[in-house]
Amino acid sequence: MTGSSASEKLAKMPKPGTVREKLYYLKLSLFHPFEGFYDIRFRGKGSLVLAFIIIAVYGAVECAAYQYTGFIFNLNDIHEMNSISIFLSSTLIIGLFCLSNWTVTTLFNGKGNMRSIFTVTAYSMVPYVISRIVYVFLSNYVIEDEAMIVNMIVGVGVVWFVFLLVAGLCVAHEYGLFKNLAALVVTAIAAFIIIFVFVLFLTLEEKMFSFIVDVVKEFIRRQTL
Amino acid sequence: MRKLKKHKKICAVTAILSAVLLAAGLFFGPETAFAADGTSYVFDSYIYDDYRNVIESPAAFILERIIDSNSIPGASLNFGSCDDVCTSSDGRIFITDKKNSRVNVFDESGKFLKSIKTIWNKEGTIMLDPDGNQVILGAPEGCFVHEKNNELYVADTGNGRVLVLDLTDYTFIREITEPAGMTGLTLFKPSKIAVDEADRIFIVVQSSYEGIIELANDGSFIGYYGVNVPTVNYVEYFWKSIATDQQKSQMKKIFAPAFNNVAVDGEGFVMSVTYDSAASDMIFRLNSKGENVIRETGNTFLIGDILSNGNETSSQFVDIAVTDYGTYAVVDKARGRIFIYNFDGELLNAFGSLGNNKGQLKSPTGIAWLGNKLVVSDSMLGCVYILAPTAFGETMLRGSEEYYNGNWDEALVYFEKAVAFNSNYEVGYTGIGKNYLMKDDYETAIYYFKLGNNREYYSKAYYGHRGNKLRQYFFIVAGVMVLLIGLLVWSEVRYFKKTNKKPAKV
Repeated sequence: MTGSSASEKLAKMPKPGTVREKLYYLKLSLFHPFEGFYDIRFRGKGSLVLAFIIIAVYGAVECAAYQYTGFIFNLNDIHEMNSISIFLSSTLIIGLFCLSNWTVTTLFNGKGNMRSIFTVTAYSMVPYVISRIVYVFLSNYVIEDEAMIVNMIVGVGVVWFVFLLVAGLCVAHEYGLFKNLAALVVTAIAAFIIIFVFVLFLTLEEKMFSFIVDVVKEFIRRQTL
Repeated sequence: MRKLKKHKKICAVTAILSAVLLAAGLFFGPETAFAADGTSYVFDSYIYDDYRNVIESPAAFILERIIDSNSIPGASLNFGSCDDVCTSSDGRIFITDKKNSRVNVFDESGKFLKSIKTIWNKEGTIMLDPDGNQVILGAPEGCFVHEKNNELYVADTGNGRVLVLDLTDYTFIREITEPAGMTGLTLFKPSKIAVDEADRIFIVVQSSYEGIIELANDGSFIGYYGVNVPTVNYVEYFWKSIATDQQKSQMKKIFAPAFNNVAVDGEGFVMSVTYDSAASDMIFRLNSKGENVIRETGNTFLIGDILSNGNETSSQFVDIAVTDYGTYAVVDKARGRIFIYNFDGELLNAFGSLGNNKGQLKSPTGIAWLGNKLVVSDSMLGCVYILAPTAFGETMLRGSEEYYNGNWDEALVYFEKAVAFNSNYEVGYTGIGKNYLMKDDYETAIYYFKLGNNREYYSKAYYGHRGNKLRQYFFIVAGVMVLLIGLLVWSEVRYFKKTNKKPAKV
């Protein structure tokens, strides 16, 4: 385009520091991920608050999906519903992803810090969250034969999400595509290791605790005898 | 004096009571039908809901009568074991006794009619085979009543033959020995037997991997029948695929699982069961090609009990009994359970347990329908139970029958009654919903399908309901559509005008 339209565009830009600006960069990163995520990573245009809100909305949508997905597509037992567990398991997995991705990329010369990884991940979730909302709504009005249509909507959301995530992480870490994909695979492995270590820690801690309790009990009994 | 009077009173009361009890005993027949506390044994029963939780259900059957050695008058005869049971439509019960090599015949009320061991011929003399020996049963394991030709088939396992007897006077008609041209390796030791409407004979030989032996009515060999597919272990499959021929020859061979029992349903299909844990199906309804075409539309597969723990043994079906309306009962020897499924493969009821109490099973071997009653044989206890349906059981069975026969309105009455008995009866709710669906009352149908957790039919009903709503509010829907399209066109036009107003200066 011509120079005049570029200056026009600049004039249309929202003022720095406003909520409108933050939403503008969210929109930009959805439709122009490389441009948007560049601004977020290197020009400090991302918002951690907005990222947390998106993740919270995602958790809430997952809870709603458990209960309000149309009867035909909803195989969940409503009597077994535990919204806290659904919320935590859906949001904590994103935290786990960010953590393991950060640990891996730090080793592999990634330039992204925790903040940018989390912001990129949360912003990328937006298409998926929207597709889930649309799915939950539409699934109440379609029949079994039309399942493909609603599933396709979620499919589009997933593909969009993956594309945004890969693009965003490429920008954040200054990686090429294949290095980024390799880093994602290692991230998955690292996530498993983190879970394993965590479980191991919990069991050991429990054993140690019971050992201390035993020692104290023994001590008290000896004293009383 | 007063004391004496009191004593007299007690005496009188006791006399009256015992007289009443005696009368009751005479009236109700053998007292073996009742438990020690005077009540009939009630079977706790259950079903599974859509989320595979066990849901308690009212008892569908109660123990009505026990037939055991005491039911045979005279001390000379008794039950050695009970290995199979079959019934005729006039209410006779045929119990195969392998240990004593007999087939004992009782009537519906448990009265002993006859014990078959030595076979007589029509002339009233003992039947002799061509070698001049008497024809005597040898460890029979199965029997079958073929009403069409008035014949009783006895699988004479020990002698490796099938005896065909007259159903009226149990005299010899013919015998079927090992047919010529049998290709398989398994010996001809008929264990269970069934005959279909076209007079073909289906013979099960225990632990034969070739399938069910199919014979023409004259005893000539047609072929092996039925496909029983073993489950494949992927790890084993991988190692076999890379092994050399020599290695393969040392590996354990996988054979097709054996069929363990056979029956013929009202439409002439052969039904069969297996208890080999390697089999991928446990209950079969075989078409003419021998493929399994059983319907499995219920919320559980046709595997009996659903196990949460993988180490438990799964249900092992030893016999199947089919009604004319496609509802079938299978008996499980692993837990002594009886499962009743309807034609669509929905579990109607499950009950029974292993144990020594009256009404419990120890080693069940056979099951048969006697009208809407069930007859179950147990080889270790050496007895046969006759189970009568309760009010709920009767409603449940009659509902399935009317539904199968397409009498929707009669079925509706029974389903509604069944749901009143058992508000967790998903099959009943689905049945009611299907009735309303037939009448195009979609909204009511939706309500019942949701209660019955039937998503397939809910979807069908919802399709109709949505169509009705769209038709009802057609102008609103069409208006919104036109509005949306209009908006789209308008925005395009505006965009076009905007970009053309200021032509790009290059």
